[in-house]
Amino acid sequence: MRNRLTVRLSIILALALMLAVPVFIAAQTVYKDGKAPEWTGEELRVIMIGAHPDDAEVKVAGTAALWAMAGAKVQFVSVTNGDAGHQSEGGGALARRRAAECQRSAEILGISWRTLGFHDGELEPTLAARKAVIRAIREWQADIVITHRPNDYHPDHRYTGMIVQDAAYMAAVPNICPETPRVKTNPVFMYCRDGFQKPNPLTVDVAVDVDRVMDKKWGSIDAMESQMYEWLPWIANIADPVPSDKAGRMQWLKKWRGPGMRSWTRQGKQTLIERYGKAHAEKIEYAEIFELCEYGRQPSREELWQLFPK
Amino acid sequence: MRVIMLGAHPDDSEYYAGGTAVKWAASGVDVQIIAISGGDAGHQSEGGGALARRRAEESVRSANVLGVSWRTLDFHDGGVIPSLEVREAVIRAIRDWRADIVISHRPNDYHPDHRYAGMVMQDAAYLVAVPNICPDTPRLEKNPVFMYFLDEFQRPYPFRADVAVDVGDVMKTKYDALHQMDSQMYEWLPWMDGRIDEVPDDDEGRRKWLETYMEPDFLRWTDNHRDALAGRYGDSQAAGAKFSESFELCEYGHQPSRDQLWEMFPR
Repeated sequence: MRNRLTVRLSIILALALMLAVPVFIAAQTVYKDGKAPEWTGEELRVIMIGAHPDDAEVKVAGTAALWAMAGAKVQFVSVTNGDAGHQSEGGGALARRRAAECQRSAEILGISWRTLGFHDGELEPTLAARKAVIRAIREWQADIVITHRPNDYHPDHRYTGMIVQDAAYMAAVPNICPETPRVKTNPVFMYCRDGFQKPNPLTVDVAVDVDRVMDKKWGSIDAMESQMYEWLPWIANIADPVPSDKAGRMQWLKKWRGPGMRSWTRQGKQTLIERYGKAHAEKIEYAEIFELCEYGRQPSREELWQLFPK
Repeated sequence: MRVIMLGAHPDDSEYYAGGTAVKWAASGVDVQIIAISGGDAGHQSEGGGALARRRAEESVRSANVLGVSWRTLDFHDGGVIPSLEVREAVIRAIRDWRADIVISHRPNDYHPDHRYAGMVMQDAAYLVAVPNICPDTPRLEKNPVFMYFLDEFQRPYPFRADVAVDVGDVMKTKYDALHQMDSQMYEWLPWMDGRIDEVPDDDEGRRKWLETYMEPDFLRWTDNHRDALAGRYGDSQAAGAKFSESFELCEYGHQPSRDQLWEMFPR
């Protein structure tokens, strides 16, 4: 009896703490560069749902860093734990290594990170995966959700895109995953950049100049050692040997990945000109680009551009 | 002629094609409305079996107003996926009704249940005529004509109105049918839209409010596809039309000529 009472008291205490925590967080909101974000003055919450630990970082780390600096709360979610992404390691040990890399990367960007723990290379658009994504969106109370288009190159990317599309609208339906409080409005859903053409190429609805946070972005990618210096050069048959020292590696990484990432700037050129003006746009080296998904809330172009950092 | 409409939820077929259903029924066509899911998640405070039963009763009342038959395949709301189980249930439903025309959502509509209902309908095309698939249910000797309900999404390509039906003369009946679905028209949908405070308490007031609530969508459908109406009804009737329902021909079933297709749909 006594034990049971103790347990009950602990539960009451835990509930009281859970209730107190949101108040505490709200009171702690401090804008890192000393000014309120441009959008409405309210705290913007963004979740980027990538297929693997490193997808979010490569695609949107610069925009995430800018958001975080302006006081937005950003979380990167990896739907799979990445346990197949290596030539000689694998399974739980690799998943743990990659989680640690992503945590370091998230610290550099000033954001939060988690994985939903599905197996790498085995993601299917099941109801179980959809519900895990709905819960993640709700737990973060996201205003903006970013993911892959459902026609990217890797099946895990395509199905992540489908699953996130299928979470749009449903995230606001209280009878779906009823144990997790719904989001009160359907968030804005966005796709991150890819270069595929069929059934249609990416429409660049938003483009963000990320030059001033590129050190952070390179740092966040550099933290993924198992990927940037082991797995990806191995699978891509990169002949140029990976240096062993830290400075040499970063230089090597920029030489290898820089040209591909700079091509995004050309892909988003027209939108960059419209958003930043021609003179500024001409000088941008690195940009990140996004398409608005039709299934979430549909803001006007002006509002969408307000929501994204500039 | 026999028509089957495969809506994802109880109220989808009525909303997208209720007027066309009335006209077909009035001209002697046998129409069945199928709700692939029982709609057991579509409410802010009710749910599960109790809600599914409530919506089945509403749908049967609505079907009586339209003059059509109604049934549900009883999959969970929010849980329609393009599985073999759902596909086989749809194949059997199409065969049981001996359908000449099958209508469902496009696979790029806003709700995942709508998208997967559309995929499942596409996947049932051709296979409804294959005797070794669902061998317990006699096959159809002809692949039916498969059609999509209207939607307003643009990717990967926008809806194309291959047939438009002027439903202005039966709108009262369409509204009367939707009016039977209290749980949706006066509770769940306005709640989701943040307009629950506008809903009147009395039956007469609600029926009137329903028109103001739904009319903008229905007027827009007509404005967006007036050209398709003009092709079928002539410029002057199309110019004056207020309410229409449009449908796109799916590539996977029987492919009638445009004249044949227009002949199959009511005027």
